[in-house]
Amino acid sequence: MSAEVTNPVAAFVEEASKAGAKVYEASSAEDAGVCLLKMIQEKNVKTAVKSKSEIANTIKLRERLAKEGISIVETDLKEWLSQLSGDKPSGKKTIGYMQELISEATGQKLDNEPRALLDAANLFLRQRCVEADLGISEASAAIAETGSLVVAGNEGVTRLVAVLPRIHVTLVEGNNVVSSLEDVFGKIQTSNPSSTGQVMPAYITYITGRNTTADIPGAVLARAQGPAEEYIIVINKPVKRGAE
Amino acid sequence: MSRAMAERVHKALADENLQTALTRLLGLIKYVRQITFANLDFEALSSEIRRVKETSIANLPDLVGQFKLQATKAGAIVYEAEDAEDACGYISMVTREHGVKHVVKSKSMLGEEIGIREHLEKTGISVTETDIGEWIVQLANERPAHLVGPAVHKTIEQVAELVSKATGRNIGIEPQILLDASREALRQTYIQADMGMSGANIALAETGSLIVVTNEGNGCMSTTMPPVHVAMVGYEKIVSGWNDAAAILRLLSRCTNGMKMPVYVSHITGPSRTDAIPGSVHTGSGGPREVHIVLVDNGRWQMQETDDFREALYCIKCGTCLNVCPVFASVAGQTYGHIYQGGIGAILTAFLHSAQKAEEVASLCLGCMACRDACPVRIDIPRMITALKTGLAREKGLPWLSKMAYGRVLKNQPTFDRLIKIGSYVQQPFVDNDLMIRRLPGSLKSLTQTISLPSLSRRPLGERLKGYSSPGRTDKPGVAFYSGCVGSYAYPETCEQAMQLLKKCGAQPYYPEKQACCGAPAYFAGDMETALSLARTNIAALEEMKPDFIATVCPGCANVIKREYLALTANDTKLNRRAKALAGKVRDLSQLILELTPSRSEKTLSNQKVTYHDPCHLKRGLGVFDEPRKLLKREGFEIVEMADADACCGFGGHVVLSYPELSKSILKRKLDNIEATGVDTVVTNCLPCVLQLRGGLDKRHSKIKVVHSADLLINSL
Repeated sequence: MSAEVTNPVAAFVEEASKAGAKVYEASSAEDAGVCLLKMIQEKNVKTAVKSKSEIANTIKLRERLAKEGISIVETDLKEWLSQLSGDKPSGKKTIGYMQELISEATGQKLDNEPRALLDAANLFLRQRCVEADLGISEASAAIAETGSLVVAGNEGVTRLVAVLPRIHVTLVEGNNVVSSLEDVFGKIQTSNPSSTGQVMPAYITYITGRNTTADIPGAVLARAQGPAEEYIIVINKPVKRGAE
Repeated sequence: MSRAMAERVHKALADENLQTALTRLLGLIKYVRQITFANLDFEALSSEIRRVKETSIANLPDLVGQFKLQATKAGAIVYEAEDAEDACGYISMVTREHGVKHVVKSKSMLGEEIGIREHLEKTGISVTETDIGEWIVQLANERPAHLVGPAVHKTIEQVAELVSKATGRNIGIEPQILLDASREALRQTYIQADMGMSGANIALAETGSLIVVTNEGNGCMSTTMPPVHVAMVGYEKIVSGWNDAAAILRLLSRCTNGMKMPVYVSHITGPSRTDAIPGSVHTGSGGPREVHIVLVDNGRWQMQETDDFREALYCIKCGTCLNVCPVFASVAGQTYGHIYQGGIGAILTAFLHSAQKAEEVASLCLGCMACRDACPVRIDIPRMITALKTGLAREKGLPWLSKMAYGRVLKNQPTFDRLIKIGSYVQQPFVDNDLMIRRLPGSLKSLTQTISLPSLSRRPLGERLKGYSSPGRTDKPGVAFYSGCVGSYAYPETCEQAMQLLKKCGAQPYYPEKQACCGAPAYFAGDMETALSLARTNIAALEEMKPDFIATVCPGCANVIKREYLALTANDTKLNRRAKALAGKVRDLSQLILELTPSRSEKTLSNQKVTYHDPCHLKRGLGVFDEPRKLLKREGFEIVEMADADACCGFGGHVVLSYPELSKSILKRKLDNIEATGVDTVVTNCLPCVLQLRGGLDKRHSKIKVVHSADLLINSL
């Protein structure tokens, strides 16, 4: 059933909008940052959580949001540890150092035991997601046919960032928009090279438009249990990843 | 029919809240279906799912092996449960191992099937349903009313009361506020939960992945926030890979809520993990550290091995069959009395629960085939219902009264005729001047509560049609006329007119006198012996004069002769060949008239407006819906279409006899739609439909006339 779409980005924008997402097209990664900051001001965002995103790193999104006075927390474990360490080049990745960082962040005296450290990190990061006004994700792919975003990751928190905050915004590169559902897997496997030894990331979440429910009689209502607003920023120029 | 079922039907029909909620739901569904399927190549998409499910179920043993291997490699723990008890026992063990106190659960029909919530609650664990609809049903201490909309039977007032009680707040009937309160209440339960449970809409063998679909987002949270995730998966959910899943996802959401994709499709492969901590890869990073997949049999393998019922495993639980079912529209899901509702529910119940419960569910079926035509996987539910009834009849026999009626009376035409003749005298005191019976005494009372009945004709059709006994030698096309029981005994004059019409159209119609009841009542009750005997009689009677066509005025009979005789005679090669030869000749009256007179020009429009009711067996059975309209238009009638012209009139199956109240409710919708057209004549091409509609309108003291095309065309052709 897969069919090639002549202009996948345009088709994606149309379908995602129809499904209830608000879609912006940015001319560059830089432009996406500007767009995001503007939205943050309009929507009175004070706190944000963020999944792993190379696009965001490229435009130093975390630093820019922090400068605007927004409390922003990285939720990918490595990125969070890096944030906690003040982004020092991480030559020193011992468990003792992590124990120190996580204990300090969570205000607990933790053992240098991996399980204890993970559990404490999980609880801390989850709570940030519950409280956050804004969640920021990057999609590995997007699907023109259905207007869906494809967010992948091995850590469960990638999905909490997408579902728990009041507003969710997803960055996606125009290059990563594929025509149909069947085309997704190739994209995911190339854009998420496995670091945990598995073929598939643990979680792939396909998000299409805005969450709704028809369970309360009377009307189909938006914002069932996920975010009230779903924003998408499509970047129409290839992002030079990692560029400083 | 069972007394318990009759009581539930009565209760549902008398429940005003339920009826209000159902009306609202059906309006919404109709609207969604209209916009969803407007520009969609439904045929192509459903062929694709059908192919995927056929292949997957055929290769299921291999796929299961592959799934287990891959899921285990990805770090999940796979357990194969034989039945509900086994599955519940395993899940209980997992809860003990982790000291679980609070469970959040996203919607799972399999969970309902095995009764996991009740099981865990008995061990002192709190289980919260997280789909808002399911949560409402849980608060009401009820079962889901619909596969995808568990609380569709609730009104806003009822929901307000339940949510207020659960949240300890006093919330009015404002939907948005109710939703906000529900969301907040549920959020707390995810945070508190130490185990999350879900089903899976699809499982992928190639990668060992689960796919969980929700629109609310509760599936994402239930499967991610607690430290342990337990998924209950029926074996039939396993397909090969993502491409197969894509085919299913494409129609699943369109069928449930009209969207191209569900809002959240969660694709889960093993537990969450990270390599951020030196040493090794750790599970339990921002998500569960253990994922248990409980594959449940509970009768599924038996279905997989049974030719007659295998296709029930193709079901993707989209609920479309319920959305189009006239019985569901009247009584909603709980009335069925068990987990799985509607026609597909009868089949699933037979294998996953018990034959007796399945029989109850199947007894509600009208045989209208609306579900078969709407199913995105093209599952032939009505065929399976008949197969189920046949199996049950074989196993435990028919009730004695049915056995006598089918075996002795139907099979024996002279006895049948004699009984009718006696009836035509006995009825006399109850027949009104216009030949209608409006009130019957004693135990027959219920028969005339819903509709007024036509009186039995004193002159059997055979006597009336003496002049039409043989085609004689002529070049004209020979047409054998098959009247059906309702035609013979209630409406012989319509049959006579049909014969005259055929003559006017240049054919040589004749009445094969040895014809008998087509056997439908026996066939659909599962009495195959009687049905086969009647097939033999009719095949011989109809083929005797080598007709070119067989004209019918009852599409129910036409279907049995054209289709079911082939199945009935499958074990008798010779008879089967004869049945096949006849099948090609069967026509509906309007269809045949058009075929006989292809070049007649259209008459100028008269000022007579009529509306046309599509009989189930004519439209969905024989695929004839255009021809009757075309003929009416050609003859100068203007057709004012009623809403849902092809919805069942309520006469189908045994419902009209077993659950007259239910039949009445279905008929009411039909009559309301007829009256809304404002015309004074309803035309239909089915004499049993004429009986039902005429009888129903008579009870309403309506002036609207109900006629068969033959009655109307006799004066114009």
